[in-house]
Order: sequence, then C-alpha cells, then structure tokens
Amino acid sequence: MGASKLRLGVFAIAALGGSVGLIRAQNNISLQFHAFQDTRGVTVLTPDVDLNRDLTDRSSLRVKFGVDAITSASDSCVRCHPGGEYDRRITASAALTQKVGATKFSIGGEVGDEHWYGSKALIASASRDLNGANTTIAGGFSYAVNHPVRHPSDDQIERQTAKNGYLSVTQTLSPTTAVQAGYEIARIDGFQTNVFLRAHVNDEFLVGNSPDTRTRHTIMARLRQALPADTFLEVDYRRYHDTWQLDSNALTLGLSHRFGGPVLATLGYRFYDQSGVFFYQPSYTGSPRYFTADFRLIPFDSGLYSGRLEVTPKNGVLGLATGTALMLEYERYRADTGFQAAIFSAGLRIPF
Amino acid sequence: MTRFVARCSLLIVFCAAAASLAGCATVQPWQRGRLSDRCMQFDPDTGRVSYMTHWQESREGSSGGFGVQGGGCGCK
Repeated sequence: MGASKLRLGVFAIAALGGSVGLIRAQNNISLQFHAFQDTRGVTVLTPDVDLNRDLTDRSSLRVKFGVDAITSASDSCVRCHPGGEYDRRITASAALTQKVGATKFSIGGEVGDEHWYGSKALIASASRDLNGANTTIAGGFSYAVNHPVRHPSDDQIERQTAKNGYLSVTQTLSPTTAVQAGYEIARIDGFQTNVFLRAHVNDEFLVGNSPDTRTRHTIMARLRQALPADTFLEVDYRRYHDTWQLDSNALTLGLSHRFGGPVLATLGYRFYDQSGVFFYQPSYTGSPRYFTADFRLIPFDSGLYSGRLEVTPKNGVLGLATGTALMLEYERYRADTGFQAAIFSAGLRIPF
Repeated sequence: MTRFVARCSLLIVFCAAAASLAGCATVQPWQRGRLSDRCMQFDPDTGRVSYMTHWQESREGSSGGFGVQGGGCGCK
C-alpha cells in the first residue's frame, strides 16, 4: 500500500470520527517523539500521534499514526551500502470501542508500510468487569497478513500470516494492590527468513532459511502496588516459549514517586534473557536444512535502565489546556553481545 | 543469575495466578482512591507501550504478552 493511500485512510477515519455527534468526556491527543540510536550505527526518529475521542457516553474512537524515519544504516545494510541506506516505516491504526452493559467490545485495524515489508491486521477484543469491578476478564484476537519482500529484489513478494489470541484476568486484591495474569498464543505461517542478514555456510555468506511455521506461547504476571508517601511499585514478568525452541524471561521492575502532585518520577529496570533457536550456529558446514545469522535468534542476556519524568502543571503547559502533561524519558539498553542502544522520548498528552 | 530470575519469576507468576483465581476481594468504590491513580493502571500510556514493544521486537526473538498485536515490521 502506498504512503498516500495510507494517509488518505487515516484522514478518512479521523473525519468520520469528527462527523459523529460527540459527548466530550475523556478526549485526549498524545504527541510523542522518540529517538533511537544504537552501536550498529542505526538512528531511528519516530514521531507519532495518538487520538482518543469519545463518540457517545458508551463508545469511543482511537486513531494512531506514526512514522519511523531510519536516518542511518545498520551493519547488515553497510555490507552492501557503504555510504548508508535510508528507509521509513509508516503505521496507522484505528479502533472503535462500544460498551454494552459491563462488557466492552473493540474492533479495529492496523496497516504498516515500509520499503521491503507491508502488513495489514484486523484486531478484535472484549473485556468484562465482574465482582463489583474488582475482577476484569479480557480477551482478544488478531489476524495479520504480511508481505516481506526478498531484498534486494523489489518484485519477489512473499506472504506471511499471523494469528494471535490472548486472555487476561485483572484482580484488585486490596485498596492498594492490583494484579494481572495473562496468556497469549500466536501462530505465524509463511516466509519468516531475515533477508538482510547472511549466514556463514561452508565459507560462503548466504541468506538464511528459517522454518515456515512458528507457534509462540507467552504467559504474563503483573503487579501494581501503592506504597506509602505517594510511591508506587510495578512488577511485570513474562515467560516465553516457541516451537523454534526459543525460551525467554523478562522481568521488569519500576518505582514511581509523586513530588507534590504535578511531578511524577519513575525509575525502571528490565532484565531479559533468551536461548537461541534450535537451528542457530555461529557457522554451518554441510547442507543444513535451516540456518540463520539473525541476531534476534541467538542466545543472549540484556538489561534496560530507564528514567521517566511526567509533569502536569496546574495551569497547563506551553499555553495548552489545563491537565496537559509533559513527558520525558531516557532508556539505556545493554546486551552481553556488546550491543547497546539509547532511546530518548518526549511527549505531550493534551486533553480536549 | 538466569536461573535465579527464572525461579523468582515463576514464584511471582504463581502468586499472581493464585490471587487472581481467588476473585473474592471486594474493594468498595469509596476505597478506590489510590487504585484509580495512573500509576496503578496496567499500560495507561498505550502509545508508549506500542513503541517500546516495537523496538524490543526489533532486537529480541520473543514478543507478546501485552494483548493482541498488529502485523509487525521488517526491521533489519
């Protein structure tokens, strides 16, 4: 899908939202800018806009539009493009939510477009409050059709489908404690080889070959605990396993504190480890059926440190509406492979 | 370190699952002051979560756990 069609679709959806009779309640627009830079030489600038608008007292619309502007080249690109290579990725999504009794239904879609990849996804979900709103059960399903292109060719377009489902339970345990547990399953069929990375096979560098099916299982457990003195603890754990024999653990800890109300500071740490897929080797000999040089499929550990500041001045910020929040965040990612990345984010959340 | 984290994590999962299955806690509306704070919500900033999961997926072999996903990317 061309970028112009994508923009047209987003504006059409936004216009549709504007044409419906509205009851304004918790409408807001979020503007965010992210800058990512890593030790491979990749710089990605990502502005995005996220609009949430109530249509009636029981329905709402969410529209999101974002761009990844990749302004430098990764080491996988530099092998063939010593002078650097530029790319961009555009994503747009929209979701309509309708509340019926204690149940919320949501349906939406997402499209993504980049030079050697395209995707379209249909997403549906539902959630229901039980037990005096102390328990919430949620579930959802998505179906995506993706089209990776066999780079450097522009016309060898492959097909890949992804089906994804999840179920979660959220429970308040006390006036200061909430927990959530979830399970997610995803099945991916079709072409899944990374065409940008070459594996070392019999002293030659070849595009890899990965299996055409992959089933992913994820369980998640999360805790939110209010502590004394306007301090909050968050703990998230994710356990992952897939049929390529990749296993991973991710443990995230966060501590937030409010300084007098308008200023919220958060410090976070995330530990992550993963095993390699069953067909990963540093180099291959003979005639291996599957082989890869994808850095995402090798075993490694990593740590992510983050600091976040959110300011909500009483009289608004930068002349914008009261309740406008300014957010600044810095993250530092380090893997034991030597890879490092720094991410800076700034954002405004504006109520209207 | 990895085994320690895995064991701690499994313990957290077990506790959270047991607590969720109990389902008998009743917090009254007038007791929800602190629960309604943004810090007590799971993923209050969906745009931030979306960006975070996107760049992590571009570096790591696993993904998921935050609800249904879109079509991913062809990240190099």
